[in-house]
Amino acid sequence: MARFVLSRLLKAVLTIWIAITATFFLLRLLPGDPTTLMVEGDMTPEMQAALLRTYGLDRPLWEQYVSYLRELFQGNFGISFRQIQPVTDILLDRLPWTLLLAGTAFLVTIAVGIPIGVYAAVHRGRWADRVLQALGIGGHALFVPSVAMLLLVYLGARLGWFPIGGAIDPDTRGAAANLSLAHHLVLPVLSLVLVQLGPYALTLRTNMIEVLGEDYIRAARARGLSASRRVWKHGLRNAILPALTLMGLQLGTLVGGAVLTETVFAYPGVGRLIYEAVGQRDYPVLQGAFIMLAVTVVIANSLTDLLYAVLNPRIRL
Amino acid sequence: MSKFLSRRPGRWRSAVALGAVAVLGLSGCSLNEGTGSSSGGDSGDGAVLRIGTTTDVSNFNPLQSLSKTDSWILNAMYPHLLRIDENAKKAPELAKEYRYEDGGRTAVFTLRDDFTWTDGKPVVAEDVKFSAETIMKYKLGNVAAKLTWVESIEAPDATTVKFRLSQPYAPFAEGVGFWMSIVPKHVFEKAGDLSKFPNDSNWVGAGPFVLETATKGQRYVMKRNDRYPLAPGGKPAVSQVEYRIYPDVNTMMLALRNGDIDLMGTPVPASATKTFDNDEKIKLQKVGALGFAHLTYNMNNKHLARQEVRQALSMSVDTKAVISSVLQGGGRQMAGPISPIFSDYDNTDLQPYPFDPAGAKAKLASAGFKDGNGDGLFDDLTFGVACDQSNANITRVVQLFRESAAKAGISLENQCVERNTFLSRTKSGEYDIDASQWGVFDNPMDQLRSTYLSSNPGGINYNLLKSEEMDKLITDAAATTDAAAFKDKIKNIDRVVHEQAYLTPLYVEDFQFAYNASRFTGFVASPSDLLGMVTAYSLAQVKPVG
Repeated sequence: MARFVLSRLLKAVLTIWIAITATFFLLRLLPGDPTTLMVEGDMTPEMQAALLRTYGLDRPLWEQYVSYLRELFQGNFGISFRQIQPVTDILLDRLPWTLLLAGTAFLVTIAVGIPIGVYAAVHRGRWADRVLQALGIGGHALFVPSVAMLLLVYLGARLGWFPIGGAIDPDTRGAAANLSLAHHLVLPVLSLVLVQLGPYALTLRTNMIEVLGEDYIRAARARGLSASRRVWKHGLRNAILPALTLMGLQLGTLVGGAVLTETVFAYPGVGRLIYEAVGQRDYPVLQGAFIMLAVTVVIANSLTDLLYAVLNPRIRL
Repeated sequence: MSKFLSRRPGRWRSAVALGAVAVLGLSGCSLNEGTGSSSGGDSGDGAVLRIGTTTDVSNFNPLQSLSKTDSWILNAMYPHLLRIDENAKKAPELAKEYRYEDGGRTAVFTLRDDFTWTDGKPVVAEDVKFSAETIMKYKLGNVAAKLTWVESIEAPDATTVKFRLSQPYAPFAEGVGFWMSIVPKHVFEKAGDLSKFPNDSNWVGAGPFVLETATKGQRYVMKRNDRYPLAPGGKPAVSQVEYRIYPDVNTMMLALRNGDIDLMGTPVPASATKTFDNDEKIKLQKVGALGFAHLTYNMNNKHLARQEVRQALSMSVDTKAVISSVLQGGGRQMAGPISPIFSDYDNTDLQPYPFDPAGAKAKLASAGFKDGNGDGLFDDLTFGVACDQSNANITRVVQLFRESAAKAGISLENQCVERNTFLSRTKSGEYDIDASQWGVFDNPMDQLRSTYLSSNPGGINYNLLKSEEMDKLITDAAATTDAAAFKDKIKNIDRVVHEQAYLTPLYVEDFQFAYNASRFTGFVASPSDLLGMVTAYSLAQVKPVG
């Protein structure tokens, strides 16, 4: 097990390094530089050169890269070109919102997806199962911003059940603030869950159907075990394994979806920060945000691998 | 772990609930109100005006910031010498008046004596001198270019500032007066290197409102300055201005309709103005633009270097149809390169090139172009039209232009790309025709210098024009301090550009700003989406309804 954990750790570190390097070079391969967007109005070439010097972008690429890695090892993500603030502070300011949004959506997807997937598998071929299949396939085709805007228009503007954008009513305090927080969270979470839920429940359903046809389930039935025990104890335990991998992968999708969701819902998370930083070519903020998201996804996937290994010892071999 | 999984579903539910609580708890612990000054949040008497903006303030240092949305907030805090009024003319703000001395080599501003910083100190000439010298020293923002001619600055008394120039430059006072923010010397001089000064807390301003708290990603709360002389009665009627962030303009429109905000800082897209038709409380205020949409021809292209080709292209774009279909009627035609909003400088003798593809085709044929294969298109007369694809209006114009130019025998290739790529290409001259929109020109002279001088001082001579005639005309006009002669010279340049068809003006857009008229009234709109309804002067005039 120790060797397995070590190898997973090494792979995680390697993946993060590749992500850092790719992010660094891809951003600089994009046409234009941070001063390009400032070109409108009067900005002489000398001023642009001075700005590039200030940003350290006049140095050779490899020198910038080495310097960036060195700073990164010291926990320094650099200073935002636009905001003149440490990137770490900017990210930490936004991270809790994204954690709240993506984390809640993740948990709701699992909490709702598991019973739906299991129910559809147990009642396969019936109307509920068919509805799930249709929704699962439809979920793949849903575009997060469209879902988000529909929810805003109907549940927010027309019915007035939920606020239009934002994360909290800033004038509330104490319990009212928590309530406001939850109230503002509903639509963004719902838009992410609607997109994620179908495919997740569908995967679980497929796994469950396969597992429920296994000999050991039939044997359990012959032993007189109740249906719910057969399904929930013996069936789900085995069907959950592939779904577990999907959950890890879905975290990345969730985080990606958060960029669009946060933009539509004016939610102040890392996703929206990325949206704004892309428009401004704010390399340090983009690098910091992408690295942070990459690390999150790598950690989630590594944990999934480890969990998988705990649940299924064969894969450690 | 396997034991955990083998438990009953009830345990699963508990675990999920626990997880949710943990996430909420973890997140909630740092989801607090943001940074800012320590003064209280009591809005006192008066109403709170809530304005929608599209993004966070990226830089609180007004000497350095280049962002439009930053300026909405910063301009309400830091006064300018001059402002632009509803008719695009300069009006007094901190400066009561200005004049030129010494044959135009000295610009003298006389300041009001009743502006006060929120810490109680008066706004004086030394503040203006310090602001300008700081910008020059660190080459900050886009104002540094406007101070190019300054040799020295003097503040002989508290209300007089003299800028000594290396040569006369007619619109110097207007340009610097409008663009330069005045900061409190006694606060900023303590910050050391001002190119690295974030100015992100404990704000001291002299505008009608001053930031109190800034919660990144959420809102910016500005408190009224009770001693603002340009507000009726000496203080704004609105006690607090709150900027709320909506990156998506559709969400912002919903928020306005829902009563979450009272004013959209950003204009309503032309295609969406009908959304508010049935909403009695929402009013749309139309304002002109200080820029305009145009097609500009790269003179390094051997065909585009020919006047008749540029004129034929100008005859191949149906600007009336563009205005009615793309802008849904929300724009005006232009003839020369000066927006009609600058009525003193717009040469009204000029007429737009008529939309006449057949005439354009005949003109090209008589210029010697041939259609060898008979496909209706002239041989080798193919151009790429570059544009920023995030500008939906311009992208649509390019499609229409492509279709109509084909009728004139000109083949156009749509090269609309992502904004940064587009700007990068225009910067390096990698285009044939540039289809874009100038943002804000506060005066025609700066515009002509930036767009037609061979030395390309502003980096936006997209024609890449090197014309001795134009250089001479522009340099001569720039040094003319007699107002009447100056106007005539601008109009003459307007005529030359039109005849040469260096560019084809497409339209000058009308912006529409939406606000909740059942709650507030008294906005004073200024042209452009930079100014709109959110200038310091406008916010100081706003009052609650009833």
